[in-house]
Amino acid sequence: MTAIAAVALNTFREAIRDRVLYLLLAVALVVVAGSRFVAMLTVGSETKIVKDLGLAAVSIFGLLIAVFIGVSLVSKEIERRTVYTLLAQPVARWQFVAGKYAGLLLVLAANVLVVGGSVLAAVGLLGESPWGLVPAMALIFVELGVVAAFAILFSSFTNPILAAVGTFAVYVAGHLSWSFDLLKKRVTTGAGRQLCDILHAVLPNLDRLDLKADAVHGAAIPAGTFAAAAVYGLCYAAAVVVLACIVFERREFA
Amino acid sequence: MTRSLFPAALFLAAVAGATLSRARIVALEAPRAGTKELLYLPNGKYLKAASLGQASVVADLVYLWAIQYYSDYDRADRYTYVEHVFGKVIPELDPRFVDPYWLGALILTTEAQDLDSGLRLLELGAEKNPREWIFLFLAGWECDHVKDYDRAAAYFERAARVPDAPAPLVRLVAGMRARGGNLREAIAKWEEVLADPRGDEASQAIARRQLRTLQVRADVKDLEEAIASFRERQGAMPRRLDDLVRAGFLKRLPLDPDGKAYRYDAASGTVTSDASRVLGS
Repeated sequence: MTAIAAVALNTFREAIRDRVLYLLLAVALVVVAGSRFVAMLTVGSETKIVKDLGLAAVSIFGLLIAVFIGVSLVSKEIERRTVYTLLAQPVARWQFVAGKYAGLLLVLAANVLVVGGSVLAAVGLLGESPWGLVPAMALIFVELGVVAAFAILFSSFTNPILAAVGTFAVYVAGHLSWSFDLLKKRVTTGAGRQLCDILHAVLPNLDRLDLKADAVHGAAIPAGTFAAAAVYGLCYAAAVVVLACIVFERREFA
Repeated sequence: MTRSLFPAALFLAAVAGATLSRARIVALEAPRAGTKELLYLPNGKYLKAASLGQASVVADLVYLWAIQYYSDYDRADRYTYVEHVFGKVIPELDPRFVDPYWLGALILTTEAQDLDSGLRLLELGAEKNPREWIFLFLAGWECDHVKDYDRAAAYFERAARVPDAPAPLVRLVAGMRARGGNLREAIAKWEEVLADPRGDEASQAIARRQLRTLQVRADVKDLEEAIASFRERQGAMPRRLDDLVRAGFLKRLPLDPDGKAYRYDAASGTVTSDASRVLGS
């Protein structure tokens, strides 16, 4: 556990020294601040637009951080050959991967806290209670955790470019997983239908983690729905991280 | 010296080239294609799929674009796609987004003078947001605007039935029934307002005043209709209001809200009451 914490803290320290992180955070904060000006162009709905743009900033910039920082976390260590020094220490390979993932989660948590906090402040300044947005932000963090797990998985066996493409592909497929159900209705052969079922079950169903619209419209979010979505996302992410650990354990370094 | 100036000169030349060519592009710009650009607006369900979980913010962007688009009054054929943009594209992205329904309806009813399309948009808003009374309320006012009081009353009645709708909506139902000439129905509605235990003092005072006025209007209307029937059948005006009861045109003579008899002018056949002139409770 100490080894995982040490790798995680080191990863976090390394990430917060990365200029890409600050650039993304700055753009996200500009989007949140700018939403007040965008809202001036509307007829009614000012608060809705500030909330929507704010939550989109938390989600989209979190995704970019998860991908651009996550995909190089393991592969960079291999490329620079620092992984040999690290693995010579009393750190198991799986602890190294789990630590990298935990460090990335800390970075994502910092993003959600900073950008999300500014969204809450912006909504509060408009005279509306912002606390209804918190469950949606929590699930955005869970979704980012799933994406980060894929970034680590791909990073453990391929180069950063391919890992980024793979992670984005999973994100897109995760938001379009409903289309496999649609496709199933049009596919007549048994094998095709089974493939649709398998893909629908295996790919992350990221739409299930999206409560943004409910939060923005002030709809009551049942505790059961929230808890089920959070548990689904956390278990899914854990499964992908375990897979990444297995892949990294079996990897041979030249 | 020349070597150090070369990059600066190259930079300035590039900037000048970009500025001039941009001005040329603007000058060569084709005349505005009217609503053709709307032909490239994708259907809401495709936009939703492409938004990858950001459908709500895409709905905001389409709404903001639509506001700018429809703020340009010089566009020819500007009303062709209003219902498509406000009633299909945006609701498919975010059906709970309230403002586009009423704004689209406002453009259709006020500018395009297309009441039916505007009402369709408001009905869609009410269907997608059954807990929002505002759509039916606005539909009621649109009908009132064209003097379709019965339809207006029906909309206000539906709005009043929405949970958490403001209690004064029932007053609008009563008002529209009165404007449409359905005085007895209006009286029934005002009595409902008066009997409502949730009603505040102001509402009760308004209801009492309206009931008093409407009672007189309804009685006078009944009496004058009976006088007209009497005249048609007997060939002369009744000499007194009692004649109407005796001839079987009325079962009994009504009294005004103060309990006094209505005044009758046999020469003109008109009926009046002092009660109709009383203001205040």
